[in-house]
Amino acid sequence: MFNFSSLVQKAQSFIDPTQALNISPSDRNPAKSTLFRHQFRLPDSQTPLQEITAEITISPPVAYSPNATQGEKDKDRDRGYHYEGKLHLSEAYLCFSTQPTSFLQSASTSTSSGFTGQTHGGGPGGNGFTLPLCAIRRVERLHSQQYQFALAITTWNGLTNSPTNDAAKTPAPQQKITIQLAGTRQACERFCDGLKKGLKGGVGDVGKLKKVVAECYSEYLLQPGETKKDGKKDSVPPDAGLGMIFRYPGDHKKLRDRSKMRLWGEYLRDYGRNVTLIRQPTFHKLIRVGLPNRLRGEIWEQTSGSLFLRLENPMLFADTLAKYEGRDSLAIDEIEKDLNRSLPEYPGFQSEEGIGRLRRVLTAYSWTNEEVGYCQAMNIVVAALLIYMSESQAFFLLSTLCDRLLPGYYSTTMYGTLLDQKVFESLVEKTMPILWDHLVKSDVQLSVVSLPWFLSLYINSMPLVFAFRVLDVFFLEGPKVLFQVGLAILRINGEELLDAADDGAFISVLKSYFSKLDESAHPKSENAKLRAVTRFQELMVVAFKEFSGITQNSITEQRMKHKNSVLNGIESFAKRTSIRNLGPDSKRLSVDDLGSLYDRFYGVLYERQQRSQIIMEETERRDRARRAKAAEVVTGLSENQVVEKGRVGLGPSPTLMDYDGFREFLAGMARWAITDSPSPPGKDNTSESEKHSYFGNSVRRREVSLSPWGPGNPEPADHEFMQRLFRRWDVDMNSALTLQNVVTGLAHIKGKGDIMGSITYFFELYDDDGDGKVDREGILRISEALLFLSRRGLEGSLTPSSSMTGLSEYEADNPNPYQPEGMQGNTNERFLSSVSAFIRRCFEYADPDHPQNKVTEVEESASDGLADPDSFGIGDDSDEEEDLLDLGDSAPVRGKKPTGIPSIPAASDKSDIRNRSVSKAHAEAANAALDPSKPLHITLPTFRMVVLADELLEQFFESSFPASFRISDKMVAAASSSASSLTTFSNIGFGRSTPQPSVGGTSSAGLVPPGKGLRGVLDNIVTDGMRVAAEVRRRMDEAQKELEQNAVHRPDDDEDDEEGYDEPRTPGGNAGRTVRSEDRDLLEGADAEAMSLRGQDGVSEVKQQDSLTPTAGRSRSASVVSSKVIEFER
Amino acid sequence: MAEATAPKPSSSVKLVLLGEAAVGKSSLVLRFVNNDFQENKEPTIGAAFLTQKCNLPTRTIKFEIWDTAGQERFASLAPMYYRNAQSALVVYDLTKPTSLIKAKHWVAELQRQASPGIVIALVGNKLDLTNESSGSGNALGEDSETDAAEGENDDGDARKVSTAEAKTYAEEEGLLFFETSAKNGTNVTEVFTAIANAIPETSLKGARGPGATQSSANRTEDQSRVNLTGPRDSASKEGCAC
Ligand SMILES: Nc1nc2c(ncn2[C@@H]2O[C@H](COP(=O)(O)OP(=O)(O)O)[C@@H](O)[C@H]2O)c(=O)[nH]1
Ligand SMILES: [Mg+2]
Repeated sequence: MFNFSSLVQKAQSFIDPTQALNISPSDRNPAKSTLFRHQFRLPDSQTPLQEITAEITISPPVAYSPNATQGEKDKDRDRGYHYEGKLHLSEAYLCFSTQPTSFLQSASTSTSSGFTGQTHGGGPGGNGFTLPLCAIRRVERLHSQQYQFALAITTWNGLTNSPTNDAAKTPAPQQKITIQLAGTRQACERFCDGLKKGLKGGVGDVGKLKKVVAECYSEYLLQPGETKKDGKKDSVPPDAGLGMIFRYPGDHKKLRDRSKMRLWGEYLRDYGRNVTLIRQPTFHKLIRVGLPNRLRGEIWEQTSGSLFLRLENPMLFADTLAKYEGRDSLAIDEIEKDLNRSLPEYPGFQSEEGIGRLRRVLTAYSWTNEEVGYCQAMNIVVAALLIYMSESQAFFLLSTLCDRLLPGYYSTTMYGTLLDQKVFESLVEKTMPILWDHLVKSDVQLSVVSLPWFLSLYINSMPLVFAFRVLDVFFLEGPKVLFQVGLAILRINGEELLDAADDGAFISVLKSYFSKLDESAHPKSENAKLRAVTRFQELMVVAFKEFSGITQNSITEQRMKHKNSVLNGIESFAKRTSIRNLGPDSKRLSVDDLGSLYDRFYGVLYERQQRSQIIMEETERRDRARRAKAAEVVTGLSENQVVEKGRVGLGPSPTLMDYDGFREFLAGMARWAITDSPSPPGKDNTSESEKHSYFGNSVRRREVSLSPWGPGNPEPADHEFMQRLFRRWDVDMNSALTLQNVVTGLAHIKGKGDIMGSITYFFELYDDDGDGKVDREGILRISEALLFLSRRGLEGSLTPSSSMTGLSEYEADNPNPYQPEGMQGNTNERFLSSVSAFIRRCFEYADPDHPQNKVTEVEESASDGLADPDSFGIGDDSDEEEDLLDLGDSAPVRGKKPTGIPSIPAASDKSDIRNRSVSKAHAEAANAALDPSKPLHITLPTFRMVVLADELLEQFFESSFPASFRISDKMVAAASSSASSLTTFSNIGFGRSTPQPSVGGTSSAGLVPPGKGLRGVLDNIVTDGMRVAAEVRRRMDEAQKELEQNAVHRPDDDEDDEEGYDEPRTPGGNAGRTVRSEDRDLLEGADAEAMSLRGQDGVSEVKQQDSLTPTAGRSRSASVVSSKVIEFER
Repeated sequence: MAEATAPKPSSSVKLVLLGEAAVGKSSLVLRFVNNDFQENKEPTIGAAFLTQKCNLPTRTIKFEIWDTAGQERFASLAPMYYRNAQSALVVYDLTKPTSLIKAKHWVAELQRQASPGIVIALVGNKLDLTNESSGSGNALGEDSETDAAEGENDDGDARKVSTAEAKTYAEEEGLLFFETSAKNGTNVTEVFTAIANAIPETSLKGARGPGATQSSANRTEDQSRVNLTGPRDSASKEGCAC
């Protein structure tokens, strides 16, 4: 099986070992900026612009005293908390942490190789803050002895209180942070400049800030002064979830909610609230013991960073609902089904109020992320969130969950879920080998048990009160918490689990454990203190103490390790599913072929998506680089979004192939679909194996060549035939192919190996209106297509073992001294003759459009044509024209003498003359006169006859055309070196794409000068259609006569003619072959280029052949053909 | 009922339910386990797990049933559940032809990916929506063989998949085949009993005496599941006690 994903992987790791991390928009490419964002929980719009070592001093809250002396200020600084760490500046945030950040300072923002894995962006660890610049009210530069630069920052802490409090007895305390920068003067100055700029930019956001903060319960909680005796306040508290209406789960006495609230009140008063919150050592502790009900939502928002998302676009939730009001979607249907089964035990969700909120949040999210839409389990998670937070808050937190904290969990393939189950299993194997062995032995698959824990964040597994405690820590410390808790559950229940021998027993052990989490962990202990420890407390201790070694880092490592096998598993599942659903047509292809088609189809789509994304981003990056001049501008903002989108295993991937994709798809399978005139190659040199370069584009993303086909890929041709094929396969008429379309299309070409089917198929491709007739233009186009398809040689005719053996044998027996280029060349060249014979015969046997008038028409057209030849200004050139038309007549020598050299220039000259001398209208009239009032056409039986009259054509349709789609082969190595793989055809001059004046504008064939190339010849033929017509009619009459004669006088000759038909295999008769050789000259001679290459040979060859086959004549060949007419009309 | 008989060897058999969303998988399980039919209130994450015993004359089979979740995207998780299943119920809705296509897909998937000896039953559910089932609980058989409705029947027959078609397919693939109604209970027990009978003795995990290795918690659960009351509408010949 051709596995593109592993190739991509391999290729990526070759370039950048950390690429393998690519897991989701958030986890992939852990460039510095990504880690930075994760570390401080910032929105994706932020990038680390500046960083500097600094010491911050958190002043204890004091009333603002603008007139304080320097001495007083120094004293303040001494009194506060001092922290040393790193200060970071992004576009809109000032962040500080004492915890060593997880990336090297030297790392550039765009390279992903420069990080050391300490926290892997695990979340806001250490002491510090994440401060939106718009929340900074004022920055003063202080003069300090120890530091060159010291800044005093005053925040908008308590923003909402201040204005309403004009009569305030106690004005909201000012929050002040003093920052001393440690660095060179230059570095400090640069930082300050950056900060100044950011502050200016932030001024406009204060309005948003107000709005966002107003929804935070802390603002209400800390409203100064007016608390009444009963603890009620004048103003209405902000929405802190359904709990405010339906009570919060659990016994709040038992939860000690009041004292928790008091502690948090103090903390927030002293160290800032919501956006201005500063993380002190107590912060983490307060979270570990469980958040108080009314603050829970806000702290979740703060620690997860969804608060900052909300700050960025406070109205997004409401706007989204308004925008999609009344619209339907699959997601909405699915949401609707689940609304009644989301935490149904909580009273809030037995009411329309709660259901309504749940519906709105899930619906709004499904619109903002249509790729994820809605996944079961989101209903449970959101329901839980809604108990503690407003709809808008839950909406943003869900967003953060899906995008960052639970990457890929809810995607349409759920790869994140599967991946983390693999990770979890491997952690169990590592940390609890005995239990693991037991599970393996008793055939219990752990992941079926643990999956719901992760997918719904323990909410459905544990009693709600405990699940929320897990969530408290989870939002602060990140996904590793889920693993730690899971491991702890297994460790604590280890002994009982070792007794469980099947899924049922295993599940019931855990079920009963979860139901007893509030019981004492040591009920029999003498020690009262120990007795008071609940099982849940024990669980937390085990999780965070015993499994403290489980870090974001180890999770990331494990994810990297298992990612491929998980994705491959999903992809092969998807592939099996998809192939099985391909319907009856697909049965005509082998399973292997279907597999390869699937790979090719999605491989092309994947690559194209990658490429367009890279190109888009590169363009964007260049634009940005152009616009921005300052040195601080970050290069490569793209790293966050790149790579791996479109991979089937990751979720919704493209499923429709447009025409360009189709070209690329064909170019991967068929040699003829590769262009002969590639655009100048980029600087990229594909030195690696072809395999790698096939997907090379996704790798070389730094030195983007902006080539639409990706460096190293063969550039596809663009030929009318391909367009026709595309339209034929596009049965849904939406200008795009599905895998189903492609399979059906190919099944019809390759499926039966039946020549009649193949001929019919080809005919229908050119029967545009489906009336069973192909007109003059169509005939020419068919011949063009035949030449196009054969210009790199014929599939199956190149090896002696193929269907061409008969011919090869013949040639081996009769080495032809006059064809020095070898057998293959001969075959291919003879095919050329076949095509020219094909054109001729088509015209010979074409029907007029009104068959009942046949005879008179022929006469008419003949006389018409001859009546006024001069009106076309071509009379003078009649000699050359004669050559062109006089296929296989006794006159060939004349035409061949110059091997057609003059005829080409003459042809173009002629048209020039005509265009000059005759008015346009006149010229058009002349063209119309080609098929004057009697256009001609061929029918399918005629087409069949003509094809079967020629062995090469027959074989083309029987085998080499179907075989030219090499579904399962590795693409021919020749693909990339397209120029060199051209057979002698190219030398003869037919390797060029031909102009397609009427179809599409995308032709790359502008390279072919008018008048040259096949089309030129054909055009000339058309131009001189009157004479052609005359000639054709004349021959048809003759053929008809002969036919009649044969029928009457030579009834026994049928057999002879059979033999003639099989001619090439029969050493005796060579008339047909001779005709074809001469026909070749028709085409050959038409090309000036061909002349220059082979002119002299051509002359001698012609002579020799002439003398070799003196008896070759039109009448003979005509009789051969006409006898076949009989045959096929039987 | 068979409960009274002497302890028989008991073994657990893992069974997975697969099929398009809304064909009635959960309803079938609910009917089998609780002899009940109602809207599914239980939120299913990944797959729901239920157990039910089936007493055969010579042994007791304890079904460990994984009822996979309905949403399409959960199909990626299915391999996790069928990986070591000994039996599978592939369900389609006989009023919905596409669900049979999906069912065939699952059959192919199981035949290729699941454990080799897996016993597969193809089940066409919602028989109550067809005419021939109007007499409640008549087992599938001769009369339904007189098979209706390729097209629309105006007399309220919603059947869109003929018995013959599905049966032929099932025979070709060597599947057990039933048409059921979770709503009125037709053929539900029969399906499980037939599966229990079809499980080869050899593929059973070391037969144990009842409760020999079961934890107390486990037993509690079993009891709560097993005490079925109310008359069963189908008298199963094999004598499945459930
Ligand atoms: N009439 C009828 N409806 C059924 C039957 N079984 C299930 N249903 C209904 O079909 C819908 C889907 O059932 P459910 O068991 O959830 O399907 P699942 O998604 O396959 O688990 C529900 O509305 C059921 O009430 C049946 O035998 N007859
Ligand atoms: Mg279900």
